[in-house]
Amino acid sequence: MKERIGIYICHCGGNISDYVDVEEIGKMLKEEDGVVISKDVMFACADSNQKQMVQDIVDNKLDAIVVASCSPKLHLHTFKNVAERAGLNPTNYVQVNIREQCSWPHSDQPREASVKAMGLIRAGMNRVSHSESLDNIEITVKKSVLVVGAGIAGMKAAIDLARLGNEVYLIEKDYFVGGHIAQSDNLFMSGQKGKEIVSNLYKEVKSFKNITVFTGVEVEKVTGSVGNFAIDIKIKPRFIKQKADFELVKKAMEECNTFVEDEFNLGFAKRKAIYKNYPEALPDLPVVIVDAIKEEKALLEKYATCFDLNQKDELLSLTAGAILIATGYDSYQPAEGEYGYKTVPNVITLPEFNRMIELNPNGLIHNGNKVKKVAFIYCVGNRQTKGDNKYCSRQCCSAAINTSIQIKEKYEDITAFHLFRDVRTYGKQEILYEKSSKQGDIYIRFDEKEPPKVELQGKKALVKVKDYLTAKKELELEADLVVLVTGMVSRSDSKHISEKFKIPIGTDKFFNEIHPKLKPVETVIRGVLIGGSCQGPKNISESVQSSLSAAAKINALLKSGTISLDPIIARVDNSLCTWCGKCAEVCEYDAVSEVEFDGKQVAQVNKAVCTGCGICAPICPYNAIEIAQFTDIEIESMIDGFMQKIEFNVKAAEEEKVEEKEVLTMKEFPQIWKNIFKLIEENKKTIPQLAEELNVSTDIITYHVMTMNKYSMVLADGMDTKEEYYYYTKKN
Amino acid sequence: MSQNDKIYDAVVIGGGIAGQEAALNLADMNYQVLLIEKGLSIGGKMIQLSKVFPTLDCAACITTPKMSETARHPNITLMLNSEIDGINKNEKDFQINFTKNPRYVIPEACTGCQMCEVVCPEIRLDEYNANLAGRKVAYIPFTLANPRIARIERLDESAPCINECPGGVKPYGYISLARNGQYEEAMKLHLEDIPLPGSLGRACFAPCQNACTRSSLEAPVDIRRIKRFFSDYYYEKYPEAPAVNIENKTGKKVAIIGSGPAGLTAAYHLALKGHSVKMYEAAEELGGMLWLTIPKYRLPKDVVRRDIQNILSLGVEFEVNTKITDIKKLKEEGNYDSVFVAIGAGESSKLKIEGAELTQVLDCMEFLSNEIPDEQKSLKGKKVVVIGGGNVSMDVSRTAIRLGADEVTIVCLEKRDEMLALDFEVNEALEENVKLHNASVSTKVFTKNDKPYLEFISVSSFKFVDGKPEIKTVSGSEKQIQADVIIPAIGLRPASSVFQNELELKRNGTIVADEKTLQTSMPYIFSGGDSHKGASSIIEAAGEGRKAAFYIDKYLNGENLMEFEDGDKLPASDKTKVLSKKDYTFQLPVEQKLRPVGERIQDFNDIESTFTEEEVLKSSERCLDCSNCRECHQCLNICPAFAIDFSQRKEIFDVKAKSVVVTTGFKLFPPSGKPEYGYNKYPNVIDSMQMDRLIAPTRPYNNVLRPGDGKTPDNIAYVLCTGSRDSAIENHNCAGECENNPICSQICCMYSIKQAQLLMGALPMADITIYYLDIRAFGKGYEEFFQQSKSMGVNFIKGKVAKIHENENKPGDLIIRYEDITTGQLKEAKHDLVVLSVGVLPNKEVTQMFTNKKLELDDYNFVKQINELVSPSLTSIDGVFVAGAASGPKDIPDSILSAGCAASEVAGYLSKLEI
Repeated sequence: MKERIGIYICHCGGNISDYVDVEEIGKMLKEEDGVVISKDVMFACADSNQKQMVQDIVDNKLDAIVVASCSPKLHLHTFKNVAERAGLNPTNYVQVNIREQCSWPHSDQPREASVKAMGLIRAGMNRVSHSESLDNIEITVKKSVLVVGAGIAGMKAAIDLARLGNEVYLIEKDYFVGGHIAQSDNLFMSGQKGKEIVSNLYKEVKSFKNITVFTGVEVEKVTGSVGNFAIDIKIKPRFIKQKADFELVKKAMEECNTFVEDEFNLGFAKRKAIYKNYPEALPDLPVVIVDAIKEEKALLEKYATCFDLNQKDELLSLTAGAILIATGYDSYQPAEGEYGYKTVPNVITLPEFNRMIELNPNGLIHNGNKVKKVAFIYCVGNRQTKGDNKYCSRQCCSAAINTSIQIKEKYEDITAFHLFRDVRTYGKQEILYEKSSKQGDIYIRFDEKEPPKVELQGKKALVKVKDYLTAKKELELEADLVVLVTGMVSRSDSKHISEKFKIPIGTDKFFNEIHPKLKPVETVIRGVLIGGSCQGPKNISESVQSSLSAAAKINALLKSGTISLDPIIARVDNSLCTWCGKCAEVCEYDAVSEVEFDGKQVAQVNKAVCTGCGICAPICPYNAIEIAQFTDIEIESMIDGFMQKIEFNVKAAEEEKVEEKEVLTMKEFPQIWKNIFKLIEENKKTIPQLAEELNVSTDIITYHVMTMNKYSMVLADGMDTKEEYYYYTKKN
Repeated sequence: MSQNDKIYDAVVIGGGIAGQEAALNLADMNYQVLLIEKGLSIGGKMIQLSKVFPTLDCAACITTPKMSETARHPNITLMLNSEIDGINKNEKDFQINFTKNPRYVIPEACTGCQMCEVVCPEIRLDEYNANLAGRKVAYIPFTLANPRIARIERLDESAPCINECPGGVKPYGYISLARNGQYEEAMKLHLEDIPLPGSLGRACFAPCQNACTRSSLEAPVDIRRIKRFFSDYYYEKYPEAPAVNIENKTGKKVAIIGSGPAGLTAAYHLALKGHSVKMYEAAEELGGMLWLTIPKYRLPKDVVRRDIQNILSLGVEFEVNTKITDIKKLKEEGNYDSVFVAIGAGESSKLKIEGAELTQVLDCMEFLSNEIPDEQKSLKGKKVVVIGGGNVSMDVSRTAIRLGADEVTIVCLEKRDEMLALDFEVNEALEENVKLHNASVSTKVFTKNDKPYLEFISVSSFKFVDGKPEIKTVSGSEKQIQADVIIPAIGLRPASSVFQNELELKRNGTIVADEKTLQTSMPYIFSGGDSHKGASSIIEAAGEGRKAAFYIDKYLNGENLMEFEDGDKLPASDKTKVLSKKDYTFQLPVEQKLRPVGERIQDFNDIESTFTEEEVLKSSERCLDCSNCRECHQCLNICPAFAIDFSQRKEIFDVKAKSVVVTTGFKLFPPSGKPEYGYNKYPNVIDSMQMDRLIAPTRPYNNVLRPGDGKTPDNIAYVLCTGSRDSAIENHNCAGECENNPICSQICCMYSIKQAQLLMGALPMADITIYYLDIRAFGKGYEEFFQQSKSMGVNFIKGKVAKIHENENKPGDLIIRYEDITTGQLKEAKHDLVVLSVGVLPNKEVTQMFTNKKLELDDYNFVKQINELVSPSLTSIDGVFVAGAASGPKDIPDSILSAGCAASEVAGYLSKLEI
């Protein structure tokens, strides 16, 4: 219990004292037990008063202070600093809001406002008398970061993280880095080649001694919390001996004659059993597909020094202060029959089309036929109001149009049809749309309710569509190739990642940030951040921006080697806890775990993880868990304080207050305000009525009445019979 | 002025959401950041918004925590109200010059209590509320401003009337107060500067009126007579000056020789400063010229007496009938610390022609002197000739008429239009039957048949050469007129010869003193008013008195006088700008009502009447509001925290930083660029920012209402792509502010859908139609948000709006003509409120900031991202980074991410610098 409390009640100029009798309250509280100082002050926040408070605390050895003034949003920190400067633990300070919660909303009932203010201050006073001195929680952190995914987002973040001295582990599921952009030969807006970007970035990554790249990796287990995560990973072997002669490996790859499906080229090429995704793929070390190469006994024998088909998965434990998830996306894979996919041979997806263009340098040929007419169908696997993927993938319109421009430039005689719903070339990408329209691309708008139908007609695809731009006229297009503009979907392994790192997944199945604006790259797990398109569809630039944003946050988090957290967290009373596990169940942050204490099982709160949200406290059937600074006794004492009967000098308040004192209200300037006032003083009036009577146009009257409304000088009071216009009266 | 020698790690330009986010990220990484913001608060455009898509969080709730975090962060230095003058790239860092504009409020002292806003009498358009409502000129930028500090919107100017007044009086201020009926406040404002409003209200030559912007239209505002009104009002209310108890006496003593306007004003200000003051007056009453020589019909003596009470009520002592001849003796005997010599110019210049010594030739000062009773001066049956064309000559002539002269003739050198006397004085004299001989020089006085005559000759040209008049006469044009009395009024000079041993005098008798400080060669002696300037006017003399008091006070405090400037005047506002800005109507001044000539020449009573209250209102409403702040000092007087400081001036800073982050944001397309949409023409065509204000929790209106007439709209239309995806924009309407904008603005579809959803909540019965080309709902959760609005009943029409005009049958309602793209037909639709969803334009100010290196722009004038895909923050200048909408349209989440990205890239850059 605090016994030397100081209370300061602010006039806020007249903002509070015009309605609340701060002087009287100050006098009355002086008599309360434990109150050493109780003052009313003109401006509590003024520098002079702050200095006085510091002096008071020191001189009178105050052990707690209450300031009754405005919203804590404005000045909580101001007065916490005052306490600190005076050597008082800032948790022994309570702010009571008697402006926004009292004088302002109850300006029409000053006496009641005073009573309420008294109650609020008593509540604050009672609370502070039970306050504890708490120190911030300090956590030592490791200056190392795990980056999951070595696409452009991951590599960029790794570089910026390493630059500020962090140890970075960059892990990639594939055997090669670069992600999706390596599959694109012509990236929109800049025309850059994805492979070149990947090579340059990888070179930069490798130039940092403090970045370690692991490829062919799977995450096995994640434990620990912010500052000290432990991650077990499994590295899949490449089946190439560690000391193998690289030239020989290359030779073996050249001589290999076994081909398998090529995932990288999406079926437009085959890959060898010793392969790289593409010749320049990095790291510059091929991978052996064990099952496939087993057939090539001669080759294996010839290059026995190179291969070790018995290599096992390598297990490794990493420790990291923070984790960045940048696992990217998958392209939507249409179902068989969706717009003729896999049923009509002329139907392919946009990523497939891009691979096809790159692998067909001499002409646009599909299934041996020259392609002259291409029909793009947009929003495939996206914007499904009834389906799974309700969202828009934001970059596919631009990607499709970019491809359309590219084929027109590259090949002669191409006609492109774009069957779209809305062309979403936002921002500067609009220029692509303009360019494509100018080059003669034909845009046909369809509605989700009546999507195009694709049928096989001879060697061609027949696309039937109702064009909403020509009064839903039914069109039939013969196309050599139908390109399905597929969107982005969350990665097939995102559930696995989500489970391992305990990060939530949104309704769109992408990883969810805490808040798109407040904490756009943070997850509910402190220290685990997300970047790039694993969070939702993004183009390249946007992916980089989000992952570097996350890098900045991680750099800030780890910069000093320690993290200081607010002491407002849950704590367990071990004597009451029986480990029923209910608290752990509801905790969104996974902050509660089971431990043994004094021979029994109890709950333990991970201080680094708990956010003090308080959800666990009311759930506990034994009342064994509470939140610091919001303990039962504090809350109950507040209620007691507020409920305490207030022997406010009622008579005096009724008789003398308010009328006598000139309350400062907005002055009635300019002249037109005076005129308006005069008119509405007797009878409420609408704006057209005022305009007529003052012979001033309605827009000018609106302007003035609304300015007066803004300054709380007038009040809307009912509507006219037609419910078109409000009546206005003078506000007292 | 150099700020300090600290080198910042980064300077962030612009305090919008991107700027704050970049600054916070850098500051969290322990970098020292300087955030420079042009506006009065951080928060950018986001803080103006209602709610934000697609989560419909209130914008304030999202952005205020960031704002306070930014304002509070120990590693961030905030510079608000500041403009970049130049950024120079050095080899290793940047030199940043910027100017911090004065707020006229001391930030540390201001508590944001808004009392200044309560009392400020002026309203201007409230930019925060997108001009839908007004705000005061003294104001808190908006409730959630951070820092929440008031600003007095005093631009870098004073109104011409204030600028012109030699006495530093603030007509612009008291006109405003007078038109609000605050006559007492008006008087008090006057008393801050000059204690003689009664006399000035009648006898000032009102240079303010010559400067009045309205004088270039019909006629100036009647400033003098407004003053006369409120001083009469005040004096009637307070016949005796309320006693003033001056606290903080300094114990210093000042003697003032002379009690004219200069002496009185100096005494007044010195007494207010706590000094003991005593005035010495040679005449039998205080007042100098006010008392002695200004005719009563122009300035009644009870008014003078009451004015003087303003000074005496401060405890100023005086001694009349005391002529001081030895200043040193005065100082020593009276133990004075300083002496102010303000003896005026009370000696008339002597006529130097033949016959000037004749007894019929009188001294004009003696003639006018109130110490000689009128009866003794009676001129019944006499012919009077007055020589000279100045104001004294008019006073003499008109006094002579009132003293019963048969005929009064003025002979003066100047042509009619060159006369020194004020025009109205000459006219009034002529009305009173004074004859005028212009361009004539008197040559002799002689007697013929016992009657005195004046001979004069016509002047063909006359000019001053080396200060001496050079007159060419027309030979043979001599004329003689009979004159029983001849009164030369050809100039006045100070009676300073008694001080010739103590002070340096000029040939014309004026006392030499420093022009700035009025200090003479004897440091303790100051001289001002007519005795220093030569014969001038009440207000000029009073102005000198005020100035003398200012510097005497500094002298008494032992300070270096040259370091101080008296007054806080700023240059006059540009009248052409005022006239071009203001939609003024022709308003003739209130006609001056003089007593009829026949009546007024019978006595010495006041010839002019005081305005009625109605006339004051009419007269003061003619003011064209040349400047914003009216310097009425209501804020100054009420501020409980003493936070208002009119002496603030621009501060120039010169700082160094290792890197620069450009977060200058964007501008909204000005809808006037699409004149066919009728913005500005029809009040119920508004832009989207205005609608956002209308639906914001902090909205100025009580509900969503039409700004044209306050009607509750029930059929609202949105016109998307206003100023976006458009290469047919008329530039001439908006002074190059809006230009062809072929790109998509990225945010308009979504904010329109957001507004539509919010409107359905605010106006459940309203129909909402969105005219669009393509709906670009591309971000996380956006498409779902779009679909939701459709299911809520928002009507989407794929159509291009061609024209908006008002419904002739139902004024205020609007008709939209559009091409329905799905049918190709031209259609019309009626709506009662139209919202133009305006696009995003580049903020081109950024290009001028960089002085020695060019910051490259892209094809659309946004800051060019030189490696958009891989390093999105890099610009063409090494060390300069870009974030937010400065590089292209962006919504809030994208801006925030780009700011985080920029912070990361800056950190990388800084770490490379260290190596």
